[in-house]
Amino acid sequence: MSNIAGKSYAMTVITPIPKIWAWVNLLKFWYSKNIRKKKSFGLQTLSLIHYARWVIIRPSQFPRLSSNQPKEDLHYAYMLFFSNFNGSWSQYVDSFHMAIPKGLDRIWKHNFKYPKSVPLQPFHRYILHNQIWTDHYYNAYPLASSNDVKAAIALRAALLEFIKQSENMSPEEFQKAYKAFLFYNQQHIAKMHSAPVINLADQAKVERVRLIESYEKTLRDEHGKPNF
Amino acid sequence: MPDQHIDLNDIQGNIVKAYGRFGYPKARYIFFQFHDVEAGRNFIRDLLPLITTGRPWCKDQPPSATTNIAFTYQGLKHLGLPTKTLHSFPEEFSMGMKARADILGDDGESSPTEWDPIWHHDKYIHMFMSINAKSLEALEERYKKIQDLLKKSSGLVTQLRGHRDGQRDDLPYQEASAIFVDGKPTPTEHFGYQDGISDPYFKGSGGNPLNVVGGGKPTRGDPATLQGWEPLETGEFILGYPDETKELPIAPVPTLLSFNGTFMVYRKLHEKVKTFHDYINNVGKDFPGGPEAVAAKMAGRWRNGAPLVLFPTREEANAFAQEYEKARELAATSAKGKKRYEELRLKRTGFNFGNDLAGSRCPMGAHIRRANPRGCLEFGIKDAFATPGALDNRRRILRRGLPYGEVTNPLSDDGEHGVIFMAIGTSIERQFEFVQQQWINYGNDFKLSNQKDPLLGNHDGKDMFMIEGGSPDNPPFFCPEIPRFVTTRGGEYFFVPGLTAIRMIADNLIDPT
Repeated sequence: MSNIAGKSYAMTVITPIPKIWAWVNLLKFWYSKNIRKKKSFGLQTLSLIHYARWVIIRPSQFPRLSSNQPKEDLHYAYMLFFSNFNGSWSQYVDSFHMAIPKGLDRIWKHNFKYPKSVPLQPFHRYILHNQIWTDHYYNAYPLASSNDVKAAIALRAALLEFIKQSENMSPEEFQKAYKAFLFYNQQHIAKMHSAPVINLADQAKVERVRLIESYEKTLRDEHGKPNF
Repeated sequence: MPDQHIDLNDIQGNIVKAYGRFGYPKARYIFFQFHDVEAGRNFIRDLLPLITTGRPWCKDQPPSATTNIAFTYQGLKHLGLPTKTLHSFPEEFSMGMKARADILGDDGESSPTEWDPIWHHDKYIHMFMSINAKSLEALEERYKKIQDLLKKSSGLVTQLRGHRDGQRDDLPYQEASAIFVDGKPTPTEHFGYQDGISDPYFKGSGGNPLNVVGGGKPTRGDPATLQGWEPLETGEFILGYPDETKELPIAPVPTLLSFNGTFMVYRKLHEKVKTFHDYINNVGKDFPGGPEAVAAKMAGRWRNGAPLVLFPTREEANAFAQEYEKARELAATSAKGKKRYEELRLKRTGFNFGNDLAGSRCPMGAHIRRANPRGCLEFGIKDAFATPGALDNRRRILRRGLPYGEVTNPLSDDGEHGVIFMAIGTSIERQFEFVQQQWINYGNDFKLSNQKDPLLGNHDGKDMFMIEGGSPDNPPFFCPEIPRFVTTRGGEYFFVPGLTAIRMIADNLIDPT
């Protein structure tokens, strides 16, 4: 059981919100998604984040395994916050707190006992108190951060296009075009490897070594030659 | 906003002054162990009158030598601090640097097993002392005074041996000194870079207000001017004052123990001079501009200190450096000279990366862009964050220290030469460890995947460093197979108490209840 898989951390936070404010938040979420359509630049510029999502769960929406399961008597609606990111818990929470404190307050301000995002320590305690630990976490690309995945997608598309375009070029044309290709894609080129140790727990360290070894195996074929 | 008032008389002087830049080019670092609580307390009580505070020297005559002390977790334990107090210290401090090796990337030739012998035992080092001096004579004089005080303890406080100098490995202290050229101390280290140009500037530090440029936190103003920067909050560097999150930093109890204190990282970093020169010479054969340009791209500054952002060519950088040196000499003699010197100083610090978002001047992965991003983590997205320094204002460290050793044979990596590096801040984990782990030995925050700091990264010979190109005919250049240029040879985490706190420890007055 860990919130960490490869370079990623999964955070789930469930916070109670008075029912009336839950409706207000639902309206606000709907408005910003469908009418305002303003991109949240701050959130998107925090490149350690894969995504962040806020969902309102009304008391009537809580799942029951069967109709025999008694309904819970809930006094609050709940706001579910779910995010995957690269880096440590405190790097993430602190980045949020420093970069977009007002945005956080807008979303959370009607939640029960929300302390506001500044100062930091009460905000830390609020998130930690309401965080649900991850039981199972699958990561398809454990050695890639969200930036790595985005860069790889962009580079792959550009490279395939370049291969197509360059098929019939003379060596001179190719050299010129290749230089230009490198220049236009330089922000997507880097060398990927394992994440730094986020956690000194022995289990996390063993898992990290296993990932590095399995990744290095993929770089060579059975004869030890580079495998691309 | 009025400047934060801080009690400089109660704060140890090394926190607010980088002595090397105040005319103290010689230093000696000494480590002690307490074998008896009373003897330990008596020793530090005796030391009190020698301890240099942060009191400004404009009011009185600067001393010929300074003395500062700091304690490890084990040291505080052996001075009899209550358990409740000991448990209130942060985890990384009580663990100590060796136990944090996986986080710091101290592996391979930087592993604790390779460090100087003094670091080999666990729970061994209790107290750190630094002596900085104007001359070797002043250093010896102060050192002798300390030895006399030590003798009073009748062996119940011992000075620990085990520093290497190339010939011996049982020296009783670590010597350090600015590198002298023609009899004059220089601000360079053994690779030839000018070092320590932008140090954080915080409220109440009493430093030259011009140091806020490049040393404070970025505003949205012009980075070449005072309007482009604001002093950082005191609490980033000294406990007991508000920090950048508008609260008092987490600190050990009782309050009087931590008030005016801070934490310090000590690291002995060996510089592999031959490896460095071989590498820049080899790569420089293919890189336009040659070895000197490769060295500049790795650091983000030319070795003479001129930043690449403002001085993209070597000619411009050299012309500037000459003018700067001339102005520095004239500054002492005339008011006009001083004004010119101050103007030129801003050209070394007054910049950010706003006009170089793609890194065509200063590479995205260059050392100065990593260690002090100057707001570049907004990636040019206007007003993305509440403040441009949102992701870096809480990651700044005061850098202290001096080079050690001499390069007697530039054709060899052996021998003892490098930098004694010290980092000061109120949270070792959030500031030093974060920068070391995420920004020096990793690159995701800069969208550079696993690319490491070319100069300081713990390379294994497989890493590459990309120098971004500037146009379609000038593509990026890949520096391949970077070797490790800098290895760790020792280090520990220390608590630097204020003067009142030292007195309280000496008098056994610490009560956290």
